[in-house]
Amino acid sequence: MNVAVFVKWVPEPEGTPRLGPDHRLVRAGVEGALDPGDEYSVEAALQLVETHGGEVTVISMGPDEALPAVQRALAMGAHRAMLITDERLGGADALVTARVLAAAASREPADLIIAAVESTDGYTGTVPVTVAEFLDLPAVTFVTHLSFEDDELRATRQTPLGTEEVACALPALVTLTAGANEPRYPSLKGIMAAKSKPLERPSAAELGLDDRALVATQSVVTVEEAPVRDGGEIVPAGEDAVRRIADLLAEAKVI
Amino acid sequence: MHRARERSALIRTARVDVERGGTDGRVGRELTQVLGQRKLFQKLTPGIMHAFIFWGFLILLPTIVEAMLAIVDPAWSLPVLGDSAAFVFAVDLFASLVIVGLGIAVWIRKVQRPDRFRGSHLGEADRILLTILGIVATLLLWNASRVALGTYPHPAAAPVSRALSGLFAGGDGTEIASRILVWSHVLIVLGFLAYLPGSKHLHILTAAPNVWLAKPGGSGRLVPLRLDLEGPEEDLRFGAATAADLSRKQTLDLFSCTECGRCQEVCPAWATGKPLSPKLLIMDLRDHVNAEAERVLSARAGGVVELQPLVPSAVDDEVVWDCVTCGACVRECPVDIEHVDTIVDLRRHLVMAESRFPAEAGGLLRGIEGPNENPWSQPAAARLEWTEGLDIPVLQPGDPAPEYLFWVGCAGAFDERARAATRSIARLLAATGTDFAILGPRERCTGDPARRMGHEYLFQQLAERNVEVLGEAGVTKIVASCAHCFNTLANEYPDFGGRYEVLHHTELLARLIKEGRLTPRPTAAGATATLHDPCYLGRHNGVFDAPRAIVSAATKANLEMPRNKERSFCCGAGGARMWMEELEGTPRINDTRFAEAAATGADVVATACPYCTVMLDDAAKSAGSDMRVADVATLLAESALPPLTVEP
Amino acid sequence: MATVWIHAGLTEAGPEPVTFELLSAARSLGGTVEVVAFGPGASATGEDFGAHGASRVFACDEDAGPRAAARTLERLIHEHGPDLVLFATSYGGRDVAARLQARTGSTLMSNATAVTTFDRARTEILGGTRIVDVQFAGPTPRLVLMKPRSAEAQATADGPAAEVVRVDTEPSADLREPRLLSRQAQTSRGPSLDDARVVVAGGRGLGSAEGFAMLEALAGTIEGAAVGASRAAVDAGWRPYASQIGQTGRTVKPDVYLAVGISGALQHVVGMKGSRRVIAVNKDADAPIMRLADLGVVGDLAEVVPALTEEIRRRTGS
Repeated sequence: MNVAVFVKWVPEPEGTPRLGPDHRLVRAGVEGALDPGDEYSVEAALQLVETHGGEVTVISMGPDEALPAVQRALAMGAHRAMLITDERLGGADALVTARVLAAAASREPADLIIAAVESTDGYTGTVPVTVAEFLDLPAVTFVTHLSFEDDELRATRQTPLGTEEVACALPALVTLTAGANEPRYPSLKGIMAAKSKPLERPSAAELGLDDRALVATQSVVTVEEAPVRDGGEIVPAGEDAVRRIADLLAEAKVI
Repeated sequence: MHRARERSALIRTARVDVERGGTDGRVGRELTQVLGQRKLFQKLTPGIMHAFIFWGFLILLPTIVEAMLAIVDPAWSLPVLGDSAAFVFAVDLFASLVIVGLGIAVWIRKVQRPDRFRGSHLGEADRILLTILGIVATLLLWNASRVALGTYPHPAAAPVSRALSGLFAGGDGTEIASRILVWSHVLIVLGFLAYLPGSKHLHILTAAPNVWLAKPGGSGRLVPLRLDLEGPEEDLRFGAATAADLSRKQTLDLFSCTECGRCQEVCPAWATGKPLSPKLLIMDLRDHVNAEAERVLSARAGGVVELQPLVPSAVDDEVVWDCVTCGACVRECPVDIEHVDTIVDLRRHLVMAESRFPAEAGGLLRGIEGPNENPWSQPAAARLEWTEGLDIPVLQPGDPAPEYLFWVGCAGAFDERARAATRSIARLLAATGTDFAILGPRERCTGDPARRMGHEYLFQQLAERNVEVLGEAGVTKIVASCAHCFNTLANEYPDFGGRYEVLHHTELLARLIKEGRLTPRPTAAGATATLHDPCYLGRHNGVFDAPRAIVSAATKANLEMPRNKERSFCCGAGGARMWMEELEGTPRINDTRFAEAAATGADVVATACPYCTVMLDDAAKSAGSDMRVADVATLLAESALPPLTVEP
Repeated sequence: MATVWIHAGLTEAGPEPVTFELLSAARSLGGTVEVVAFGPGASATGEDFGAHGASRVFACDEDAGPRAAARTLERLIHEHGPDLVLFATSYGGRDVAARLQARTGSTLMSNATAVTTFDRARTEILGGTRIVDVQFAGPTPRLVLMKPRSAEAQATADGPAAEVVRVDTEPSADLREPRLLSRQAQTSRGPSLDDARVVVAGGRGLGSAEGFAMLEALAGTIEGAAVGASRAAVDAGWRPYASQIGQTGRTVKPDVYLAVGISGALQHVVGMKGSRRVIAVNKDADAPIMRLADLGVVGDLAEVVPALTEEIRRRTGS
């Protein structure tokens, strides 16, 4: 079975990314890495093809700086990669991104597409299912465990009330939760092998997308600093302390 | 014969690690360790036992030649020695000492039964002892028979032989007995020689070369692996994957092991119930190499052969990862087997070629590999957090180099508990007007944990990067507050072009005390301390006195632990194990060491390395103990400096 | 007059509570508020939604999968032309909204914390340190996914029942969807540590495995909370290794991290330093965790935790 995985390069996964004057994330010259959430997707794809045969293709949209993300996936064991780079994609929103990825994925239709539930820098969480709609595919979301039995996909997914077991015929799209597996650490051998694996660098035009398809329909107007929390406070235990904790929880909107 | 050819071929065809080169100290080592049996005397009674047998055999070697000559023509005798009364006396004396030694050996093995023999082939050892007895007994009796026959030179110089000669009546019966004895003697010797290559007694031939080939420069330095990633892939070696990858020294190690178990006895992993025993590791590798010998030789000759992977065929993954690289095993081994080097070589293959390592260590590698290049993934700017409230000079690019570059290390910068020591050291240096500065955000992990884990490539990248930064800054002297950084900077960076005078903080502080620039005040209610010698400061680098000088100056007394100095018991964090979980269900190494410290009754466990501080502090809390764990620098600062009014 | 639509998902227990929050948010914009409800019982929601300000409910009583629902919604949009559609960031809502944006060509905005006008909405980025105002262009209706608890659900004093209009779903015979095999309800489990919005973690200070029962009770009162442990607690055998947070355990990034009886050694901190807010309860005011916490409470956790549990129960009525 051939599996495609959507991956993303994110700037400074451990630190705090910076915004440029155009209110966009600064990506040039910044240390970044393969989105940690995407490692689970790559790992799941590799495990499936190791058991059932086939190849893993990683697809990503990003600038030249994003190359290391794709290379890491190749180093983990993916067989080929596609990185779509186009200066017109600089301000792409979720819908434009979905169009691009759908166009890329439809070049060589895979049996299964795997993506992370959401990226760690954008958190929109909608691109994969939008791609599924463009490609007319069913989607199984919030998957914690994935396998392939009796010619169909079996998945355990998280739901508000617990979990569900679902089955789905291929082709389909799956979004995987973080922690669904233990992503392998690429060996030095893998890193070296990655250099000679097929890597395509199409532009948006080569994917058949014209200018209109790339226009974002949202734009950022202003960015303000959120009110800074006071420096940490230490209070003695007591009724007042309990109240303060509950207030903080309410302020964080968890209760 | 076949075995002998096979084993010598295995050694001969093994790759030579040129990086181990250098001849300094080798002759001296041969004299003290081989001739002088120095390491054997690290345990007194077994040392005596072995020395008697070893020296005995050296002296008695000519008698074997003599015996063989005598078979051909009894009239022949050895030149010079044949006529020497002194030699006759020596033979008598040393043959008797051998027997005494054998007696001690029997007592050790049959009465004392030390645990270090667990897993060793005791039957084989018994047979060898018996054979030695046979050789020496037949010699003495043969000499005795010749005394009875009157054909022994200078019998007056041979009291034992004379005494034994009473067993022989003289005359024809004794003639025949004498012939039988000399034949028996030679046959036993020849039989022994034939048995030798297949047994652990081969050490008599391999030990001296093995000691010679031991790497110079101490046990703290690991030999670099040259990784040419641009070169042809077939030439690339990521460590020891199969038996064919073992180097000449590594192979010789395997054939030198006598299964004495001195290494097993001191291994912290074995002592806490883990499956790792250095002795068993060497034995398992040896057995594996012997079993695969033909295939290995064929592979090395260019044949296409499939060889078993050493891990897990010879050694389990768990065993490879249990090692804390403390070097206690290497320190004890009388024949200079370098277990740690082999374990790291196994790790190198597992990590770089197969990515097979305990999952928890993934965080460590990602941290060092990632943008922040340290095991805790902390941003570089956070390296200055410990300086809050203190005025610490930070070396900027372009500044002239200070006299001492204070290398703080990652633990010392990021870990709360370790920061106390860092602050103390900085304050002490500042108070004495020492010219120093820190690199601050420009510091990166020295790469020690990556190297001990086997990720040699990652280590080398960091080393090259750090050497470049230090070089540009014009640094010539470094004082390091972490024993691991100290070891790597002093012993391993020179392989990458970084040559500095490197001091550990205890060395510099001890010197400052000695020079009178620091005057510890005797405190009224002084605390007693017990010093825990860090492995990477003490055993690997021989620094024992400096921390003791500080403890003596700053506290009431140093109550030594039973296992101290070179015999110090590891805190459990070395070998990158700081980032790994110990085998479930086994006692923790740090808990074990802490119990030993607590048993001294001291108030404080004095440490000299941030890893030790953290591990022993964890153990103290685990044990619910009130005992304080503090670096010697902190104790010194409390004793020699006015207290800070506000501790941020 | 501008019209806002709310997409409402129905469960066996009725409309998802978050729907009422969306209705309140919609009302504050002025204009007409209508609901598109999917699921069995949709046509019976007129009163409920009416009480929260909706004037009309398009009710589809069939169990439509997200593909059919998106197409149905698209058809309704063509017919009625709303200006803005609000979705809840729930499992169901997100899927329908994501598919809809492909069909309408108007970008779906995620994680909105407020809708200020029919053309503008607000969100937070970079770990909540920046507030961003977003302007919509492109075709109407605008599509917005609201973050939970962005608004308070408020009933109007005298809202009349909404008019219910029954609609059919799009034919879905050839729209392949995943097939449900079985369901497992987890009453007390909650989310995994990786996804939990709130992590309540215990350390050596809890003293025993039983001590953790206190934390489980606390976590039970907070939706989306999971219980974690420091290495000390795992080493002591009180919690399984899977719940260990730290250097040799998991890394978590919840909205709130409540550290109970945890000293805050570096090995632990590296596993939770990405948390948005940290609350610590410890008997030692000098414990390193106190320096990291937004709010540190010094005292006996055996008193603080149960009292907190009670207080939360009181406030949330759970």
